[in-house]
Amino acid sequence: MAQSIVKVIINAIIRLLPIAIVLGIWQSVASLHWVDTAFLPAPVGIGRALGDLLSGHEIRDNLGVTLFRALAGLALAAVSGVWFGVGMARSWIFNAIASPLVGATYSLPKTAIVPLLILWFGIGSTMGILAVYLTCLLPIIVQTYHGVRATPAVVIWSAQSMGASARQILWQIFMPHALPDIFTGLRIALGFAFVVAISAEMIASTAGIGRLIFMYGENGSYDYMFAAVASIVIAAFLADRALLALSARCLRWHPSHAGTNLGATA
Amino acid sequence: MSAERAALPSPLKSYALSTLTVGVILIAWESAARAKLVPDLFLPSVSAVLVALRGGIADGSLPLDLGVSLYRAFAGLLLAAVVGVAAGIAMARSALTRWFLDPFISLAFPAPKIAFLPIFILWFGIDHMSKILLVAFSSVFPIVIATYSAAIAVNHLLIWSSLSLGSSRPTIMWRVILPACYPRIFAAFRVALPVALITAFTAEMVAGGGGMGATLMYAQRFFETPTVFAYIVTMLAVGLIFDKAMLVLRDRFPAWRESS
Repeated sequence: MAQSIVKVIINAIIRLLPIAIVLGIWQSVASLHWVDTAFLPAPVGIGRALGDLLSGHEIRDNLGVTLFRALAGLALAAVSGVWFGVGMARSWIFNAIASPLVGATYSLPKTAIVPLLILWFGIGSTMGILAVYLTCLLPIIVQTYHGVRATPAVVIWSAQSMGASARQILWQIFMPHALPDIFTGLRIALGFAFVVAISAEMIASTAGIGRLIFMYGENGSYDYMFAAVASIVIAAFLADRALLALSARCLRWHPSHAGTNLGATA
Repeated sequence: MSAERAALPSPLKSYALSTLTVGVILIAWESAARAKLVPDLFLPSVSAVLVALRGGIADGSLPLDLGVSLYRAFAGLLLAAVVGVAAGIAMARSALTRWFLDPFISLAFPAPKIAFLPIFILWFGIDHMSKILLVAFSSVFPIVIATYSAAIAVNHLLIWSSLSLGSSRPTIMWRVILPACYPRIFAAFRVALPVALITAFTAEMVAGGGGMGATLMYAQRFFETPTVFAYIVTMLAVGLIFDKAMLVLRDRFPAWRESS
């Protein structure tokens, strides 16, 4: 037991060593003044700025606003997107009505609708959440649709012949079968959620980490700007890992999911 | 039970219904705008949008903006392809490279790359360079990961066979490993292309400096709503056309298709 913990720690150190090496080179380059520290602040300075920002309200509040917008939009999109996808997969009439809309907007660069949403709803959380919602909706709809459509007919027939109701088939056949695809859609949507939330804040906002990063950039406080960028990178990484852990938990029963670790390349 | 009916939709019927839906939406939009149910400022009529679209094409401003944006997106994508494929293969061939790059890729892959825009502006100015490099930075990760996982899975028999036939290492690289990776690399390109487009447009919306995104924001600030719609429609069409073009390319070159 103790030995395995030591092993885990050693493995973690070996994995993170490259980051430490790069930070070390970066720090020495900055300390030796080979580059202008105005353009490339030293890691120690950025760390100090990050500590400073985390102990105050600046990053916490703005990061909170961004996370709230991204996650609220994602949650709304998850709830409605799954039903939309199931509807498209189960009813050809609904599919015929919805598919041109989904097909046309799927490849639209989603931030393009931000100016329109600003026009309609002004700047603020409503606009941000709506932009995230509309962006996240599509991958979830498409993945749910594919998951439900791919359900083997034999399984549905078996359930029907054993007298399962439509509701039981929905919850016990279609939903579990589509669950891995729904999680794939959620993971794509999570990435979009952060990009769109931050883009919307950079384009026009009074709060949020996107605005904060830009504000520091314009004021020339670059160590704070780097610290704010670092905070959102870490937040996005943790959110992605949390979603992976959740999907691994929910898909424990699924044969394809034994020991997969998406995103980690080694 | 609708299972059987859902499984057997008449293609003609569903196509007709799709066309009808689009028609109804366009007519409803046009009549709502004509009847002034909503102010022009918020929702211009379809015909006003078409007029703005034609005007933009006629005076050359729309094609120019599109050219600038596409140049940035594709220059960045090309850079990402070169760096991404090279890094992916290097990671598959050398454990040291894999060990060194893995934590950076794991950390950067889920990060919202657009947050780095102010840093790129600081280092590379507000013109083309910062945007091209941000596009490359955004679209490189799916390409690295796909190339790596394809190159690590190349059938060893193929490599051993060509070794025993006397192929040199460069030959094996160019004639065996790289072709074996084409399908996965191409699939990654289909993921990276919309990322490149969205990054180019968004960077222009945030930082200005010409292109589709910059003009779109400019039109919104001056409440030229028909122009806003015309530019959004153009972006939508560009996204659709390039995705279709990728599919056509894949069908023309069977070696790029994933065999499953």
